[in-house]
Amino acid sequence: MLATCSPVDDLIPGPSGIRSDTDALLAARLAAGDHAALTEVFDRLAPAVYGVALRVLGRHATAQDIVQDVFVELWSHPGRYDPGAGSLRGYLTMQARHRAVDLVRSEVRRAARQERSSRLEPRQPDPAPHERVMASEAAAAVRAAIETLPESQRRIVELAYFRGLTCREAATAAGIPEGTAKSRLRLALARLGTVLDRQLLESS
Amino acid sequence: MTAAEHHPALPAGLRDRVLAATLRVRAVGRPEPAAPEISPAQAFSRAADAFYGMLGILQAADWRRPALRELDVQGLVGHLTGVEEDVHRGLQGDPDVAQVSHVGSTQAAADRQSGRPPAQTRAEWRRAVDGTLALVHADRDPGDEVAMHGMRLPLGMLLVVRAFELWIHDNDIRHAVGLPPSVPDPSTLSLMTQAAAQLLPHAAARSGLREPASVHLVLTGPGGGTWDIPIGQSPAAPDPNAIVIVTDALGFCRLVANRATPGSLDLHITGDPDCAAMVLAAASTLALD
Repeated sequence: MLATCSPVDDLIPGPSGIRSDTDALLAARLAAGDHAALTEVFDRLAPAVYGVALRVLGRHATAQDIVQDVFVELWSHPGRYDPGAGSLRGYLTMQARHRAVDLVRSEVRRAARQERSSRLEPRQPDPAPHERVMASEAAAAVRAAIETLPESQRRIVELAYFRGLTCREAATAAGIPEGTAKSRLRLALARLGTVLDRQLLESS
Repeated sequence: MTAAEHHPALPAGLRDRVLAATLRVRAVGRPEPAAPEISPAQAFSRAADAFYGMLGILQAADWRRPALRELDVQGLVGHLTGVEEDVHRGLQGDPDVAQVSHVGSTQAAADRQSGRPPAQTRAEWRRAVDGTLALVHADRDPGDEVAMHGMRLPLGMLLVVRAFELWIHDNDIRHAVGLPPSVPDPSTLSLMTQAAAQLLPHAAARSGLREPASVHLVLTGPGGGTWDIPIGQSPAAPDPNAIVIVTDALGFCRLVANRATPGSLDLHITGDPDCAAMVLAAASTLALD
């Protein structure tokens, strides 16, 4: 049986095989090197991908970079999307969320490092308003995740990251040995990563 | 609530920027994962080895079973020996083999198998194949044109067509004796789909398709790929009004071999359905029996 003229979402199926699943058909076309299929996917799903990235990052330029990374990855390695595991929309938005959260996490760490080192350097001019907004949005994303940590770990993260203490200073402030402080910090960062990943999975 | 209300509008230029970036990492039409590249001679050699192996597991009674046209299995193997003999003549520049019929010219080789032990038929065919491979490997340029059976093809293309024919007759025999069908390895299948896509405009012209049209052919699965194929006088370039035909590579090869009908394939078509049907019908005329 021959199908008739129709957009890809409404393709009339053949008698068996991949016919029932548009995402599976798109995945097969992408694997076959059909760039028109990628264009279709972009037109249909890029707004959702961009929206996710923008919500996490709050910055248009970086969110656009995330969109590019996600679609370049899809075209480079279409086989990494498994239609049996979920929708293409869910896969792409989760990719965007992963990348955006990773970006936030690395920015918070960098900000914490800069804050610690700035205490040893002459005072710099105040950041521009948009830079303060960016920093506060990024910090807020991680702050929400920190709230889920056990009290002992949350305390040491707050001392080390938000009060800018060195590990030794944080240990002294918490009244625990420095080795214990380091250990709790490592556990906290590992758990933080897990919590952030779970949050993004649930929101996907 | 609409999707537009859920998601922000895309910034101007983002679409073009992203699509251009994707093309820098992977060329259009290239399958992912790509099958390892092999030469046409390797494809022919692999198909011949597979065919020879299949013949080796046949029982004596299997050789008498009807296989194709009026030929039993043994006669079909004889036909293939005759084809190899014509290939030898073609490779040696014999003009008499250029226009002879694929079936008629090989009938004598098929007929002479009658009453022979199957092992003799199998051995004769193997020697003929080895003779082809020896001629091919004797400093032949894959671009050299060979004229035989009404075709004039570059040697590389001829070898892929021959690999195609061996695989198809392998399956004719398997079907005749109740063996499961075989599937070419992805590297061989990839050469077959490339050859089919390349020959499709000729098949369309031969079938009377004169109106300019563009076919965006997407063959999925191992050995697949994507091609923009001009039909009639259409330029070979992506065309937004192209007829889009999506199906799996293996099924398309069976269609090209006239061993499957369009109705038996997983087909997804966008564009003029009548023209698509004519293109698919033309594809099946590429078959060599």
